[in-house]
Amino acid sequence: MKLHIVHIYPNEMNTYGDRGNLLVLEKRAAWHGLEPVIHYYHAGDTFPKDADLILGGGGQDSAQSDIQADILQIGHKLHALVDTGVPMLMVCGTYQLFGNRFVTLTGEQIQGIGIFDVETVGGPKRLIGNTAVETNEFGTLYGFENHSGKTRLGTNQQPLGNVTRGNGNNGEDRTEGARTNNAIGTYLHGPLLPNNPQLADSLLTLAMQCKGTELVLKSLDDSLADQSRKNAMTRRY
Amino acid sequence: MPGLVVETLIPGYLGVMLRQLPDGVIIITGTNGKTTTTKMVVELLQANGKRVLTNPTGSNLTRGIISSVSQQARRGGKLPFDIAVFELDEAYARQFTDVVKPRYVLGLNASRDQLDRFGEVDKVAELISETMLSATTAIITNADDKRLSTAVATAKAPIVYFGVSPALLKYFPRDDELVAVDAQTPLLQASNLSAEVELVAFKDENATYRIGQKQTNARLQVTGQHNFQNAAAALALVRTILPNLEPTKLVGQLSMVRPAFGRGQAFKLKNGSNLQLNLVKNPASFRQGLASYVRPNTTIMVAINDRIADSRDMSWLWDVDFTSLQGHEVALTTGVRAVDMALRLQYDNITAKTVEPDTDAALKVFCKLPGDKVVFASYTAMLHVHAQLTRKAGTQL
Repeated sequence: MKLHIVHIYPNEMNTYGDRGNLLVLEKRAAWHGLEPVIHYYHAGDTFPKDADLILGGGGQDSAQSDIQADILQIGHKLHALVDTGVPMLMVCGTYQLFGNRFVTLTGEQIQGIGIFDVETVGGPKRLIGNTAVETNEFGTLYGFENHSGKTRLGTNQQPLGNVTRGNGNNGEDRTEGARTNNAIGTYLHGPLLPNNPQLADSLLTLAMQCKGTELVLKSLDDSLADQSRKNAMTRRY
Repeated sequence: MPGLVVETLIPGYLGVMLRQLPDGVIIITGTNGKTTTTKMVVELLQANGKRVLTNPTGSNLTRGIISSVSQQARRGGKLPFDIAVFELDEAYARQFTDVVKPRYVLGLNASRDQLDRFGEVDKVAELISETMLSATTAIITNADDKRLSTAVATAKAPIVYFGVSPALLKYFPRDDELVAVDAQTPLLQASNLSAEVELVAFKDENATYRIGQKQTNARLQVTGQHNFQNAAAALALVRTILPNLEPTKLVGQLSMVRPAFGRGQAFKLKNGSNLQLNLVKNPASFRQGLASYVRPNTTIMVAINDRIADSRDMSWLWDVDFTSLQGHEVALTTGVRAVDMALRLQYDNITAKTVEPDTDAALKVFCKLPGDKVVFASYTAMLHVHAQLTRKAGTQL
């Protein structure tokens, strides 16, 4: 069965190995018996008709303002997909653009599409280091954070999880990322999915559920990822 | 005297000392190729009678430069040199150029590198460009690196470009092309800047350069297509300093330069086999390494650490396309991040036969394997492997 994965703004939002998340989804989908189809969505394109799983990466500040006008154009489409339960993984820069707004260090206001009720303010200091996040649904997530924006959640916005190591959204309230329906926003690079195959498989399962099919996961050899997670448990920030 | 002590005791020391050099100071900076290019420029200038002061391989922070200056100075403070050629780390170059104005600055390229240190590629380019703009006599830069050539376009000092011919551009992807996912965006446009020195063609160890109007062939000892491009940069810089040099003679001198420390350096092992050690620092350099050093029967080891000099974040490994290694034997992954490296390969359908985090143990096994071998190593892993190889495992070729 086909699984349509849409990678948004791959040429602009790709700063920290974000290609890795796509590769993991593509490979694991195939290993679980699905037929992954990758669609790249560039600014100005027609948004793909089939979109079962949507992925976005981190970008430079300059790239963020370049694609902002375009993302506002497709915002209603993305909202509709979130409402129907389509899973999404938005990392760093795209996470910020999926929020209400991003105020840069120089005071420039970049309006987001408001899928997450979050607001980000550019900070003078980058938060950089190995990070661990406890989540209810996906267990512990290991990643590497690298961002200067400080993100605050609105009152009813659910976070992705809580940091047990690292700064997460803002370094103050211990929250990390955001979750709205099956859309996930996060600051975790590394990239995120290779070291957290359980999250990759959950995204695939949710995508198929949304299409009305139950994905029966095959047992894959994740011994390298298991070992890597074991090593990550004791890694310093 | 250690650089730090001098810096604290005598502020302004560096400026005073270096101002006595009759031919001034040259800075070489950029993401990749600093060490090899500096070595080439130093040796070309020496071959043409210049007494050259330089910093030892890799000591590319201001402190390392102060150390070399203070060690080389005669009693009374005289520096017995004509010219200084320093490679400078992008992030620390400013500290240096605030004190000493370089006559020439060569900016090689700007590419995603240690983003846990720099933040983003634009920041990397900005730092390199700032350094180039401090040049008083001329800027030498890469016609094919748009971030750099655009940033210096308005410079007061004249700009001399080096480059590769349009037909070769596909072998030297720029940063955006490294990670571009599909062919929809036409990124590979030849620059319309006219290069003074151009790499026209290469095959194995042979390279053809156009220098001014003249085309010249060379058989090089430095290895790797990226170093053939770096050589174009070195030729352009030396030609700018010594404009009367005859191109054929210059290229002849270039062919005498051997690989720099751990940059495609070859070792002869006790079992008679050859091992090439190649530093990989970021997606661009890893990609160039794979393209240059993996031949049909090459056996491979990858050594990855995660200290600050290596990049603490492993994300960069996912911006490298390893599919060209399918069908090759990756005998070992090693280093602090041996497991992460093997995991990366797994997703390109490549199995690392052995995962051995202990680099000494891994190297011992690897050296005993027959046939040609290459080690790709991150910075601190490269230093480690280099030390082990020179100590016992083999002799340097």
